[in-house]
Amino acid sequence: MSRSRTYNRRNIFIVAVVVMLVAAALTVRLGYLMIFKSEDYAARAKALHERERAIKAKRGNIYDANGILLATNKPVCTISVIHAQITDPERVIQVLSKELGLSEERVRKRVEKVSSIERIKSNVDKEIADRIREYDLDGVMVDEDYKRYYPYDSLASKVLGFTGSDNQGVIGLEVKYDKYLNGIDGRILTLTTAYGVEIKNAAEDRIEPQAGNDLHLSLDINIQKYAEQAALKVREQKNAKSVKLIVMNPQNGEIYAMVNVPEFNLNDPYTLLDEIADDYEGQTLSPNKLNELLNGMWRNSCISDTYEPGSAFKIITAAAALEANLVKLTDSFFCPGYKKVEDRIIRCHKKGGHGSQNFIDGIKNSCNPVFMEIGARLGPEKTYYYYDKFGLFDKTGIDLPGEAGSIMHKLEDIKPVELATMSFGQSFQITPLQLLRAVSAIINGGKLITPHFGVSIRSADGSYIKELDYPVIENAISKESSETMKELLEAVVYDGTGKRAYLPGFRIGGKTATSEKLPRGNGKYISSFVGFAPADDPQVLAIVLIDEPTGIYYGGAIAAPVIGELFDNILPYLGIEERYTEEEMKQFNAGSIEVPDFVGKSRDEVKKLMKIYEFGEAYTIGEGDIVIEQFPLPGEKVNKKSDIILYYGGQNETRSSG
Amino acid sequence: MSRTAAGVKSKKLHSYYDYSLLFIILFLVCFGLVMIYSTSSYNAQRIYGDAMHFLSRQALFTGAGILIMLFVSRIDYRIYIRNLPVIRLKPITLLYLLCLFLQIYVLIFGVEINGSKRWIDMGPLGRFQPSELTKIAVILFTAYIVNLAPRRLDKFRGFLRVVIFIAPLLGLIVVENFSTALIVGVIMVAICFVASKKKGYFIISALIFVGIAALFIILFPYRSERIRIWMNVETEPKGYQILQGLYAIASGGFFGKGLGQSMQKLGFIPESHNDMIFSVICEELGLFGAIALILLFLLLIWRIFIIAINSVDLFGGLVATGVLAHIATQVLINIAVVTNSIPSTGIPLPFISYGGSSVMVILFEMGIVLSISNQIKGEK
Repeated sequence: MSRSRTYNRRNIFIVAVVVMLVAAALTVRLGYLMIFKSEDYAARAKALHERERAIKAKRGNIYDANGILLATNKPVCTISVIHAQITDPERVIQVLSKELGLSEERVRKRVEKVSSIERIKSNVDKEIADRIREYDLDGVMVDEDYKRYYPYDSLASKVLGFTGSDNQGVIGLEVKYDKYLNGIDGRILTLTTAYGVEIKNAAEDRIEPQAGNDLHLSLDINIQKYAEQAALKVREQKNAKSVKLIVMNPQNGEIYAMVNVPEFNLNDPYTLLDEIADDYEGQTLSPNKLNELLNGMWRNSCISDTYEPGSAFKIITAAAALEANLVKLTDSFFCPGYKKVEDRIIRCHKKGGHGSQNFIDGIKNSCNPVFMEIGARLGPEKTYYYYDKFGLFDKTGIDLPGEAGSIMHKLEDIKPVELATMSFGQSFQITPLQLLRAVSAIINGGKLITPHFGVSIRSADGSYIKELDYPVIENAISKESSETMKELLEAVVYDGTGKRAYLPGFRIGGKTATSEKLPRGNGKYISSFVGFAPADDPQVLAIVLIDEPTGIYYGGAIAAPVIGELFDNILPYLGIEERYTEEEMKQFNAGSIEVPDFVGKSRDEVKKLMKIYEFGEAYTIGEGDIVIEQFPLPGEKVNKKSDIILYYGGQNETRSSG
Repeated sequence: MSRTAAGVKSKKLHSYYDYSLLFIILFLVCFGLVMIYSTSSYNAQRIYGDAMHFLSRQALFTGAGILIMLFVSRIDYRIYIRNLPVIRLKPITLLYLLCLFLQIYVLIFGVEINGSKRWIDMGPLGRFQPSELTKIAVILFTAYIVNLAPRRLDKFRGFLRVVIFIAPLLGLIVVENFSTALIVGVIMVAICFVASKKKGYFIISALIFVGIAALFIILFPYRSERIRIWMNVETEPKGYQILQGLYAIASGGFFGKGLGQSMQKLGFIPESHNDMIFSVICEELGLFGAIALILLFLLLIWRIFIIAINSVDLFGGLVATGVLAHIATQVLINIAVVTNSIPSTGIPLPFISYGGSSVMVILFEMGIVLSISNQIKGEK
């Protein structure tokens, strides 16, 4: 430089130094970002790149007592599209809408949506998914998945329950044992670009899914099937609204069967049963209404609904009175057909009264005045003391969700009238299962068991086994009272109101009941029977409830035979041998006859027919002159010397228990 | 000038040519191409179905730029301020008028991209940004004006005279492109600074400049919004690009993820081959690579500094200073923006960022600097 080189040079040097200084400052800043901020920012960047893809865990199976699969998984597929990878959207739309049976607009909307991944349809059958895979379309993903599957469709539907789309239990055992059945989902951590496209071979981490554990039940598919058949049959015969049937082991509370007909299809739980849907034909159901109907269809009435137990509850009153030493079998009572309690006249079901009788006859006849009398002897406090011992104030603790509790009077509200009606099972409500539990304690020597289905939880490979325990409360009743009660209840079946449940060769105990539904006088009944066998060492206890039967509604007439028939099927199956007494051999070995049709016959005609057919005794009920109904029904096979009940046309009977 | 004239006559003297500068330039340019391939291949594949799309275009311009650089480096830089034989005009005047024309043209007929009219469509050659050419014009023209009467620069009025000459170009740029105007301004000030003996008025004008800048920010909310984004880069939705750049830088660590292993370039940083390329360099090559690159730039600036102080005349020294200021400002502002040290503004990283006119203009300037070095007579 020609002029004053020094200051020019110095100035250039200053510029250069300024540049160096700024560069140094920026390097410091860079170092700060890359060393001190590195962890924080890098973690956030990583969260941005990583996509977590869940690998669904297999849900555990549910097995019955014989190891038969009741609930399992079926492989299904989920079809999704990745917008950024689609090369031929028109073809994708065309193929997917054709194969999946979806409308073209619906598929188009999903395909054309700019998102990283869009689910088109889940729960697609494997064959369809395989077909879609064969088209080899860019941007179409087929993910394998599992769907819950119930091999027996509607069997024990309200007990097993089903799962939702997220594989979580919605009702029943599927809910209760969700935490065991649900596996732990696995994960694949993959890196994706900003457009959601997975980078190949960049899977950073893979956590294998852990399958859920299997649930083993006490429920026995054969007993359940028998019970369901019996329930369906009586429902059809009596055109009843519904029939409930529970079969349980009274010694340990294991439930063998729980039937609520009509049952629904577990593989299609969101479709209303035809019989429900028919009531709403031609109407468009609002989502709320549909939901309500579905919930009604799924409802397990055996545990969720309460009812007035009626005469079957006399078992509890009798047991309490015996236990409290307030009654002896030989005590004598007199039934004039009613009992006056304060200013009220409460009738017995037998208009003319049972006359003079001892306690044994009282229970065999199911005589209301007898029980009102011993109820009065107990008084409210003792009554409630025993109710409590029999677990009637508590839920049973069954391993199913949605159990209802009992509805009882307040102790201080119990006046003589309430006490009298309570003694034969009216003016309060319990669930059928609560009754069954109380009866269990009475006939098993005093153990208040917890009814249950779940027996054990096992992993598929057998490496994990958890036996399920349930609480048992001892000494609900003394052994002696228990023995007495068993004998009394056996007598009810042998030659009392429960004789239609009698099976030659087996010792069966039980109690009938006919409960009038509230409000009184609407002519709607629940007819029921509680029975157990063998009477001296109960191995099986069952209850049937026929809700709103048409025609004859007496528990002794229509409910008892259901249990009789069921026991005929399942007692041999359970390994309980027939043991005929000599008397029985004589009486019943004579062969069987087909029941003729008595309906429409006059009393004279009946007399003639009775001479031809070898019936035991013909009970006649009603005052008319023409037979309007009979039991057993025409065409049924019965043993010779069986009794027959004939109902003559005319007036209705007054309210009664049966 | 006598010494120079004597030097030219004495053919025995060794003619100096800064090969180390040439080497640094070539290295930077090649490194730039590698990084452009690394950063752009994913997007090129995604958009054009050809991973080489951006690389091949950039390689073409870079090749042309190198040829231009080598050609220019063999031309005596003083030819720009001599009258052309026939039309009796200096090339520098022509260039000045051409830039003025193009700047006006672009404001009327320019192609609008992202809301700014900065480009002239050149058909198959792509788009040309006249403000890049203006940078050369400003370097040469400022040096020329100052060189006419260097002593005037000692006074504020002399500086103002220069500003008045440059103002039309600067004014036309600032309308659409604040950051380029800033760089042009810095170049002008740097040249004047070097030529001046007195420094007082620079401090005054610096204060005035800051005042104007503050006013500008208040008057134009578009600018103040940028400042808000800069302060809250993690929460402002418009800070997305910068935040993604920070993620990239920070995930690099000491030695980086390795060349080609950047995750952030996979669509997280939009157009990662452009202004944000430095963040991907940090991610792939780590702090180590980033510092190496900064040192390489400083080395380049050091070489230009050496040439500037050894140039045979004041004009050469001033031109070299202008080029130095240009490169340094772009590098520093780019890195400052990428590291969120200053509010974001779109300035490419010289030699590295994608952009045809940018790399060609810079290589042209390098050609001039090499030409200045060529006139230095070494003793060896």
